[in-house]
Amino acid sequence: MLSAKTLLILVPALPLAAAAVAAALGPRVLRGRSHLPVVAALAASFIAAVLLVYQLQERIDLEEKPVATATLWSWFDAPRSMPPPAEGSVETPGRGDFNVSVSLRADPLTAVMFAMVACVSLLVAIYSIGYMRGDAGYWRFFAYTGLFVFAMTALVAADNFILLYVFWELVGLCSYLLIGFWHERPAAATAAKKAFLVNRIGDTGFALGIFLIWTTFGTLDFEGVFSQAREHAGDWRLTAICLLLFCGACGKSAQFPLHVWLPDAMEGPTPVSALIHAATMVTAGVYLVARCTPLFAEAPDAQIVVAAVGGLTALLGAVVAITQTDLKRILAYSTISHLGYMFVAAGALYGVAAGVFHLITHAFFKALLFLGAGSIMHAAGGVIDIRRLGGLRRRMPVTFWAYLIGCLSIAGVAPFSGFWSKEAILFELHGRSFAEGGVYLLLFLSTLLGVVLIAFYAFRPFFTVFFGEEKIPPEAGDHMHESPPSMTAPLVVLAFGSLAIGGYFEWTHGLADFLSHTPSFDCLKRLDRPEIAAADKWRIGLFGSALSIAGIAVVAALYLRPGKAVERLTRAMNVFGLYSLSYGKFFIDPLYDALLVRPLLGIARLAAWLDRRVIDSAVDAVGRAPALIGAAVRPVQNGLVQLYALVMVLGVLVLLGIMLL
Amino acid sequence: MTAELRPLLPEIVLIVAAVAIYIGGAFLPARGTWRWIAAGALIAATVLLWNHNPNASGDLARYVRWFALAAGGLLLSLGAKPLRFDGTPEYVGSLLLTVAGLMLAAGAEDIILLFISLELISIPTYVLLYLGRNDAAAQESAAKYFFLGVLSSAILLYGFSFLYGATGSSELSAISTASPSFAVFARLALALIFAGLCFKTAAVPFHFYAPDVYQGTTHANAALLSVVPKAAGFVVMARILVQAAPGMEPYSWAIVLAAALLTMTFGNVMALWQDDFRRLLAYSSIAQAGYMLLALAVALVPSGEWDGLGALWFYLTTYAAATIGAFAAMERLGREDHRLDAIDDLAGLGRTRPATAAAMAVCMFSLAGIPPLAGFWGKLLVFGGALNVEAPASARWWFAVAAVVAVLNAAVAAAYYLRIVAAMYFRIPLATPPADGGRGAWFAAVACAAVVVGAGFYPGPLMRAGDFRQRQTPRLDVGAERGPSILFRQEKTTATPTCPTAWSGGDEKSSCPNTLAYCLRRRLYYRGRQ
Repeated sequence: MLSAKTLLILVPALPLAAAAVAAALGPRVLRGRSHLPVVAALAASFIAAVLLVYQLQERIDLEEKPVATATLWSWFDAPRSMPPPAEGSVETPGRGDFNVSVSLRADPLTAVMFAMVACVSLLVAIYSIGYMRGDAGYWRFFAYTGLFVFAMTALVAADNFILLYVFWELVGLCSYLLIGFWHERPAAATAAKKAFLVNRIGDTGFALGIFLIWTTFGTLDFEGVFSQAREHAGDWRLTAICLLLFCGACGKSAQFPLHVWLPDAMEGPTPVSALIHAATMVTAGVYLVARCTPLFAEAPDAQIVVAAVGGLTALLGAVVAITQTDLKRILAYSTISHLGYMFVAAGALYGVAAGVFHLITHAFFKALLFLGAGSIMHAAGGVIDIRRLGGLRRRMPVTFWAYLIGCLSIAGVAPFSGFWSKEAILFELHGRSFAEGGVYLLLFLSTLLGVVLIAFYAFRPFFTVFFGEEKIPPEAGDHMHESPPSMTAPLVVLAFGSLAIGGYFEWTHGLADFLSHTPSFDCLKRLDRPEIAAADKWRIGLFGSALSIAGIAVVAALYLRPGKAVERLTRAMNVFGLYSLSYGKFFIDPLYDALLVRPLLGIARLAAWLDRRVIDSAVDAVGRAPALIGAAVRPVQNGLVQLYALVMVLGVLVLLGIMLL
Repeated sequence: MTAELRPLLPEIVLIVAAVAIYIGGAFLPARGTWRWIAAGALIAATVLLWNHNPNASGDLARYVRWFALAAGGLLLSLGAKPLRFDGTPEYVGSLLLTVAGLMLAAGAEDIILLFISLELISIPTYVLLYLGRNDAAAQESAAKYFFLGVLSSAILLYGFSFLYGATGSSELSAISTASPSFAVFARLALALIFAGLCFKTAAVPFHFYAPDVYQGTTHANAALLSVVPKAAGFVVMARILVQAAPGMEPYSWAIVLAAALLTMTFGNVMALWQDDFRRLLAYSSIAQAGYMLLALAVALVPSGEWDGLGALWFYLTTYAAATIGAFAAMERLGREDHRLDAIDDLAGLGRTRPATAAAMAVCMFSLAGIPPLAGFWGKLLVFGGALNVEAPASARWWFAVAAVVAVLNAAVAAAYYLRIVAAMYFRIPLATPPADGGRGAWFAAVACAAVVVGAGFYPGPLMRAGDFRQRQTPRLDVGAERGPSILFRQEKTTATPTCPTAWSGGDEKSSCPNTLAYCLRRRLYYRGRQ
């Protein structure tokens, strides 16, 4: 049996090795078989992750600390860079030794993330074998995917903020590479750039947060920082740290106002959208907030901000998703909205575990939906506009059933996975609102509204695409049939996960118990959690489910029977401009364009002009100076040995003169 | 063999081998064999040096002796392609003698032996310059070097005689403890010695020979000229100015500093105009001598955590590796009847000879001081030392100015080093170089590039080896009563680097002032112990 430490290293190391192999051998040797190393490594990685979960569970059973660490090497090891404080003065924090090691650490939170990431990425990789077949960049795709899985697993295993930041950027890089995978398409290249730049804004906040952590706590290790968090309760710096970290989370997890990159990121291949922009990378922000629970626990103001931003984003994403016509865009906005849910849960503090629970189930059903959409897209020759598709139920039965399960799960219909995790969030939020009211009550109500909207936006494309009269776009040719087994098999597995995994975790309490042993969540046990009757749980669950079913019923009524109802409703909504607002995505992109992008471009052009005309000419002038000096002294070197000897003697005389005078 | 001579065995082996090769070469003109015999002699000397006192480091003489053997090996490899005319025995014999001379100069305890060892470098070099090429330019360069070299030797010897007159002793250890009877003599001596050695190191205004001589000779000879005499000059400067006569002239640092600034500026601005590769590298070697002089100036004042001598030798080592590598790459690219001289010959090398171009580029980047290559660490140590001298405020100010000028100079220097890189990678190939300069040259180029990269990524061992402050170097007691004799310093004590007293008290690790170099050095030091 491999030790926990070995497993911890293997989980990220295997995909990295596979990526290296794919990159080295892909273009020449492996070509169309480039998926082999990556799929094999991901499978092994998944097995290692599951073994790791079991090992940690074993430790919990033995009442040991369920933490495994592996320090690979010491990265920075600089002694304190300041002289010790003067006698009698108080030591200012933040002047400790700057020690950062490349060390990984697995606790239950990490292990759960490991298992989820490895599982989804394995399925997506298998799916991609069929989806990407014949693409010119086949090996490149799998190399990037391996690299991404390495970065993502290392991100959740990092033991300090610096390392976390490094892998945070690395997943960002992989995201950039994969969004721009078809970089010859201008839209893809632009989307990749946009994603990178918007993420940069968030990352700046994250970096500032790390700086502030350093000056406040004098260390960057998770354990060192979290153990000191209590001493700083109520400190403005702690609140600032939390907000800055959340700023980073907003960028990566596409929360308002930094959500604009995610819909555009759908320019990448669909498996990428499923893996990176739905299931894994975008949840890094949620992971960050969950990991930093001890900090947020001591900063109530930051909790409110997180919850409020999450709630606002959840609603905004859902409203926009209702009216979009591009299937992948609908799913992208739904991802934004669901990430908002996770942040609401994390902001409600006790709901962190519920947020992580939702993260896991969401990974399954959202990956399922995306891959389903990809399957449709694959068959339809790249067409993904739902207005041009219809009645595909019979032509693609597997996709149909899988997609149905995904929709039921995302809508939160009992007993599908999404139901349990969403119900957990609602429950925690209800508890908090019950205890405090105010913002949390508002959030609770808005999430309830969101539940209806989710059902609506999930089933609208479902009914349009799979029911009604058969519409097949001309691009599809005669390929409009079910996808190959390598694509449908992952769909089936994911559908099974979307169906059962939530219920399994809920009934066995496996996930919640396991997660509660995470050292980061220890602080929650200290707080007195508002007591709510268990009956409330059922009431909330039933109410939520009822709302979902109501939403589905409305959609069914509107879209299953062809009629003018939809048009009429649209017109009615547009009386207040609501429809345009939703269809135009609240006009946030044009707003940014007018307020930020254009002014900045103007400044950039001015700066470029100044740089070229003014600064460059000045620099050029300076650059010519040494050469001119050289030209001036050049005649001395005339090749005459007499002169050389004379100058040498003169030199000696000058030296003697200086010495003697 | 008597016990006193044991430490000298490596040098003895080299000299005996050189003499044997000279004599044997007259009878057996087999060209290839002599190279192998010379290589064998170098290896034997290495083994002897290792056996004599293995694993020790931190002693200047020891460091330079290793340096000399390594440089000798590389130079032998660089010039290994047999010459067409029959000069091989003389060539390798002279090379061995210069190596022996450098080793002797590092260890000689007596100024007479010191002078002889310097001549042991100079005279074979005159021979080498005649051997390399057979045309008018070569004759001219050899003659120039001979005349000016003799002049500089005379100046140096004159300085030595004043030193003897002022202190009454020819032994360095006695000189260092003597109180000079005539302060004027001592100053005269220092000025003349410094001037004489400046010729060896190619410092302004004693540098004039370098461009003409380099241009007129072969790559192998240019490589030798840019490394061996420079190292000898600096080791003797270090031993006399820093170790033997630190109290004689409190302001000698100012002169060295002025020479440093003049030298680096002159070398760099002149190099900008060169189109000939060897001439360009000649000016480069002048400019680099300027940085080394700056390190020497740092060594002449109390410099706290930063070790001027250590910086000097680290710098010199990285410079030597990069320079030999550059010349070796050039040598490898050419053929005996088709030598590459102009920078234009390198156009498009990145496409025609990618591996050689890479080695050359690495060397150029290192010379320009671009991280993470070895040259960067050298510049870091030198400039950092200049910024951290613990001297009176006025001196500190001057050193700060010098550091700024040095950094500006480094920027200027990058222009011509990168011009070579740009020619190799961004220009269209004019003709494919024959690349028939021999496997030895190829090996030397690759080895040098590897050293530059290796010492760049992992500079610790080299820095530790050149940390001369760790050890006191008391004299060997053998023969101490016998008066002046050939003696080698031997290291006895080992001490960890200590904190200056101002910060003492409390935990050593946490209470030291931490300049960057200190941190670096300390980290590397402790890591080495683990």
